[in-house]
Amino acid sequence: MLGKLLKYDLKWCFKPLVVFYILAIIFSIITRMIESVDQTLILLIMDKICSGVVIAMLINILINCLMRNWVRFERNIYKDESYLTHTLPVSKNKIYLSKILTAIITLFVSFIIIVICLAIVCLNDITWYSLKLSLEQSAIFLNSSPLSLIIVLIITIFFEFLFMILSGILGIVIGHRSNNMKIVKSILIGMGIYMGLSLFSLAIIYMAGILSPDIMSVFNNIKVSSNAIKSIMIIGIFVYAIYNLMIYFIGNALLNKGINVD
Amino acid sequence: MEIIKCDHLYKTFDNKEILRDVNLSIPKGKIIGLLGKNGTGKTTLIKLINDLLTPTSGEILVNGKKPGVESKRIISYLPERTYLDKNMKVEQILTFFEEFYDNFNKEKAIKLLKDLDLDINLKVSKMSKGMREKLQLILVMSRDAEIYILDEPLGGVDPATRDYILDTILSNFNEGASIIISTHLISDIERILDEVIFIDKGSSVLTSSADELRKKEQASIDEIFRRRFKC
Repeated sequence: MLGKLLKYDLKWCFKPLVVFYILAIIFSIITRMIESVDQTLILLIMDKICSGVVIAMLINILINCLMRNWVRFERNIYKDESYLTHTLPVSKNKIYLSKILTAIITLFVSFIIIVICLAIVCLNDITWYSLKLSLEQSAIFLNSSPLSLIIVLIITIFFEFLFMILSGILGIVIGHRSNNMKIVKSILIGMGIYMGLSLFSLAIIYMAGILSPDIMSVFNNIKVSSNAIKSIMIIGIFVYAIYNLMIYFIGNALLNKGINVD
Repeated sequence: MEIIKCDHLYKTFDNKEILRDVNLSIPKGKIIGLLGKNGTGKTTLIKLINDLLTPTSGEILVNGKKPGVESKRIISYLPERTYLDKNMKVEQILTFFEEFYDNFNKEKAIKLLKDLDLDINLKVSKMSKGMREKLQLILVMSRDAEIYILDEPLGGVDPATRDYILDTILSNFNEGASIIISTHLISDIERILDEVIFIDKGSSVLTSSADELRKKEQASIDEIFRRRFKC
């Protein structure tokens, strides 16, 4: 049943996203093609327009990914469509898990598309060389390899965005436990969870700083040691992973306590 | 043998009691009319049975178990609103129902759709309100369920279609199953009822066999209802 739920959730979320993916890739290719020929004024103008469109599309993909997941969750769990969702012979755990997996998958695919588009537009011998160089330098600075640096960076950003989606979802779950102003409460609670836990992360880093002078340098100095950045990134991944798991389990427990559809 | 049992059931919203100490037993194999004026708690009771709301206190048992996956397998529920994804075509909805409900009979649904001239390739968003209600009724009645719960199935349709809907219900429900019909249009459904439950101000004020009640009061259910709930 989870597979079936996931199929319909993914279909719904990806339907408009696929259009934006295709448009983003097409405009990335056009931008690259324009940039690869000898520049004239008209080509320069077209290049700027296409670059702008690509940037807009990439931002749009991220925002749409967040919004589609929140809208799908609210409609399916609390609005008209919830009358079908909650009368399917499927447990609430599976319904909730399907929404979370959909969020993870759509976000992951969106990230890949964004990286592909950026690669199409920007990646050439010169940028590749400078990217490789800066990665290598950063890796030496952080006492790490370029590959592990990329992986750590991607995981941190991915977890950050996932944390954003899950905060919104938990906000919807808590907001809909009251009987009025549900949307406003959902938004405020979602933002509150995100901001509150982000501040708490800072507090955790500060506490870690008490134990490690390297980490404390982030709060005291402009110059930061390589060990401090490395430690903060590892703490970041660890903290976001805990937040995401915590939000998942709280949301699941609240839904299992019972729902009240509109 | 009862299929649904409500025991001291309460439901409160913002300190307002919508349902107050409801005690009910719904037997197997009967057609039951859940009758009451608008806003007396009929829909709330139905939502509680369907696990769409959580009771404030008290208990509901469906086939001896609390509402959950098992009860959802055997209940076929028609809500008063459109619960379908408006971007889906009728054919996609049939596939959806077939995938999730083991007891959904797709052939029966297609036959009923043909009878009603509903295009299988039509999107829900392109349908009128009446067409959507008919589609949902077909989906609900195409399941071989043990309980059919129909919330205001005649609410938004013209009198001529009401008869068709009632005939569809009568000729398509699973033999031995119970049907709960919630409505305030009593005269339209009176002829098919075995039992009646009157709901007023959040409580069940009368539960009786339809024939016995008619005999006792020497009047139709509609007249008894009008007398009892006169404003």
